[in-house]
Amino acid sequence: MRGMLKTTLSMVLTVWMSGISFAGEAPMIADKVAKGELPPLEERLPKEPMIVDYAAENKTEGKYGGDMRILMGKAKDTRQMAVYSYARLVGFGPDFILGPDIAKSFDVKEGREFTFTLREGHRWSDGHLLTTEDFRYFWEDMVKHPELGRKGVPTDMLVEGEEPTFEVIDELTFKYTWSKPNPAFLPALAGASPLYIYRPAHYMKQFHTKYTDADKLEEMAAEAEAKDWTALHTRKQRQRRAENPDLPTLQAWWNRTPPPSTRFVFERNPFYHRVDPNGNQLPYIDNVIMNIVSKDVIPAKAGTGETDLQARYLRFDHIPFLKQGEASGKFRTLLWNLGRGSQVALFPNLNASDPVWRDLNRDVRFRRALSLAINRDEINESIYFGLAQPSANTVLPSSKFHRDEYTTAWTSHDTKKANALLDDMGLDKRDEDGTRLLPNGARLEITVESAGESTEETDVLELISAHVKDIGVKMFVRASQRDIFRRRANSGETVMSVFNGLDNGVPSADMSPQELAPTAQPQLQWPQWGQYNETGGKAGTKVDMESAETQLALYNQWMIAPDMEKKTEIWHEMLGNYTDQVFSIGTVNNSRQPVVISAELRNVPEEATYSWEPTSYFGAYRPDTFWFDR
Amino acid sequence: MLGYIAKRFTYMIPTLILTSMLVFFLIELPPGDYFESYVNELIAAGETIDPKQIEFLRTEYGFDRPVWERYWIWATGMLVGDFGYSFEYELPVREVIGDRLIFTIIVTFFTIIFTWLIAFPIGIYSATHQYSWGDYGLTFLGLLGLATPNFLLALIMMYLANQWFGTAIGGLMDPEFVDKPFSFAKFLSVMEHLWIPVIVIGTSGTAAMIRRVRANLLDELRKPYVTTARAKGVPEFKGLMKYPFRMSLNFFIADIGSVLPQVISGAEIVAIVLSLETTGPLLIQALQSQDMYLAGSFLMLLAFLTVIGVLISDIALGFLDPRIRLQGGVSR
Repeated sequence: MRGMLKTTLSMVLTVWMSGISFAGEAPMIADKVAKGELPPLEERLPKEPMIVDYAAENKTEGKYGGDMRILMGKAKDTRQMAVYSYARLVGFGPDFILGPDIAKSFDVKEGREFTFTLREGHRWSDGHLLTTEDFRYFWEDMVKHPELGRKGVPTDMLVEGEEPTFEVIDELTFKYTWSKPNPAFLPALAGASPLYIYRPAHYMKQFHTKYTDADKLEEMAAEAEAKDWTALHTRKQRQRRAENPDLPTLQAWWNRTPPPSTRFVFERNPFYHRVDPNGNQLPYIDNVIMNIVSKDVIPAKAGTGETDLQARYLRFDHIPFLKQGEASGKFRTLLWNLGRGSQVALFPNLNASDPVWRDLNRDVRFRRALSLAINRDEINESIYFGLAQPSANTVLPSSKFHRDEYTTAWTSHDTKKANALLDDMGLDKRDEDGTRLLPNGARLEITVESAGESTEETDVLELISAHVKDIGVKMFVRASQRDIFRRRANSGETVMSVFNGLDNGVPSADMSPQELAPTAQPQLQWPQWGQYNETGGKAGTKVDMESAETQLALYNQWMIAPDMEKKTEIWHEMLGNYTDQVFSIGTVNNSRQPVVISAELRNVPEEATYSWEPTSYFGAYRPDTFWFDR
Repeated sequence: MLGYIAKRFTYMIPTLILTSMLVFFLIELPPGDYFESYVNELIAAGETIDPKQIEFLRTEYGFDRPVWERYWIWATGMLVGDFGYSFEYELPVREVIGDRLIFTIIVTFFTIIFTWLIAFPIGIYSATHQYSWGDYGLTFLGLLGLATPNFLLALIMMYLANQWFGTAIGGLMDPEFVDKPFSFAKFLSVMEHLWIPVIVIGTSGTAAMIRRVRANLLDELRKPYVTTARAKGVPEFKGLMKYPFRMSLNFFIADIGSVLPQVISGAEIVAIVLSLETTGPLLIQALQSQDMYLAGSFLMLLAFLTVIGVLISDIALGFLDPRIRLQGGVSR
């Protein structure tokens, strides 16, 4: 690696000094350099830039230039740009392995001491050096500042309430130390919506009372219609929402359009720290142009080639329409794997307030029976054109943790066995039409509540309700609205809900298994228990079911597990329990996400996983290496 | 007359105060608030968020204060031109709305002109040729326009325009002209996109307009003075336009009251389907995400314009048709 780096560097230098302009930088930048508006490439790149491994990632060297058009449905979606460009202190590559990115290297001792080293000569998009000062500013002048820090230390930087000690070692090295391991820290830094532990101090200081006169700040705040200087500071420093065109960034492109607008132009960052193996500075593409349109016309626009890279707001059922427009719209439709554990999953509410239903949902035989009754092949064939795979709600086959026993746990479509399980529970009395009767004499009629957003859910549920009829269960669907849906599930009014399965279907051992244990309120099968653990016992109820307790205990063990082996072991144990206990009833996974790309766009993988985490949508596949073959 | 106008102005104040309370109350009514919707939206997209962050935002934006206090801040703010802050856009409401207002006015202006151009000739023809084939045929066409769901018509026309003329889907101009200074090329691009919403929104309004012109004109045509005019040999066209048509326009003046709010709200559903950069979709989105100050201020603006519009049409009617009496014992 180091040898290669040296060769690359010397090559860049030779190219530079001999004046050949074929490689190294974009013509758009070269013009500015010639005019003296920007310093030459060698001064813009860090001494040791990050070299993207093209051989391993199956990429080809590209040509500079071109504008990439993308479509978004809301002004708020400017956030997605930081997700797509995905420059992180540490980040995932296409292999889902955590590696250094903005940081040149990092070192973890005992899971509690994190030392980072920055790249020498790495600059913000306005040309200022990135140093430990930017990290110190975040920690001391923001988090620990009595006024700015009112929201407290970010959750991922707390271990059982304890904050880290932050040390600046030199210009480029800094360290966070906790007394206990903090496994959440690195994944949080690498997240699609990451924990930003740095700010461009040289820019932000003009909005901070420590560095700027209070009266002047008040004036600035009043002018910007902010409540006070802290509000102004908060508004100016947003890293994700690219709405302040003056805010320097480390991402590949930075926004040059002040909001409100319906067309945001993100221009290449001339100080970006990544290069291709030949020393050409990335990104290849000059501008990313984000058009904000009504989200309902996005599929139609994509189908006529009005976008160069689009997956957001496109769904499985748009595929035939998209395929049809390929030739005339000059684009291609790639079918990536969706990273969810299950496309559509049922969540029996173990915290239901009705005691009869609560007991029923908590009986593992009931959950297994429902799962057995579902004919997943039929769902796959009739709704997903057979492109998906019948599975419990668990990791995808492409995951390192994949085992057949997880995928097939209680998914065999065995009506007889399912009936036997229900009879065994004492639900053997039936009404005239064959519907089973509950212990209190009521009919076994389940109302499944949905957030009312996807026709896919409704279609799948229609099939499932036909399937469970065979085991004497009646199922109804009640579509509601997102907020109300969450509220009802949380209060226990909901008996069963339908939603996506696991968000991260391709986890690795250093990612948190929190989705498999009651750890957060949004978890639809145990919202109360999740809330209890999320708030440290201030709200919600304590887990009072053995199998769920086991999951929680395992999760806590994972938190303090010393090494990857132990973590892997715990992951498997949790996956095994989760699928065997059927905490959520999966249908099919490995479904497809249509990804529309311009026919001229190169370096986009043909087959890949599309997910929020760990791939950060396109982020892990490095859109900075995409280029137009024109 | 002046006294009448002054009195009408004083009536407006309690009306607007009541409306503002109603608006605020209705927006507060659904459970939850903007931040809850926001978190749920993130969850739906598979994202996660630090709950602490949300708590902080709630206090930062004063959501921990009682409802009446927040109402008071909002309502008094509006008096000095501060419409509050949009959470969704992270911008003052004024900036968010202001940007889109001009396009809304353009669309509505052309739509109204289009409606008039179609409806008046047809209405007059139908009235003068009552129960003829032409009357039935044209009225049928108008009603067809009313009966066709707007969003469907919009979708079909958008698709055909794209297939036949290569017009970019949705929007009021090709994307490359957004935020560019006005030029002839931009003007052409706007014209290329504008005709679809104008026709779609226009067709739905035409039928009603035709029927009203027809009905009002028919009333007038049967009056004795028309017969007298005919008997005296006034040419048919002049005899039609000079008195009966002018008399039948009262309803039209009265309509101005509703035109004003329409100008800024536009046709929401069509605007969403066509992805127009008008204010309609903004309002719907704000209501959905419970972005309450944006929604509230917008609704108040509509209420204000309605009140003003009604006032204008009342005054105009008073001037145009001296037969209309001003009530309340005010003398002219």
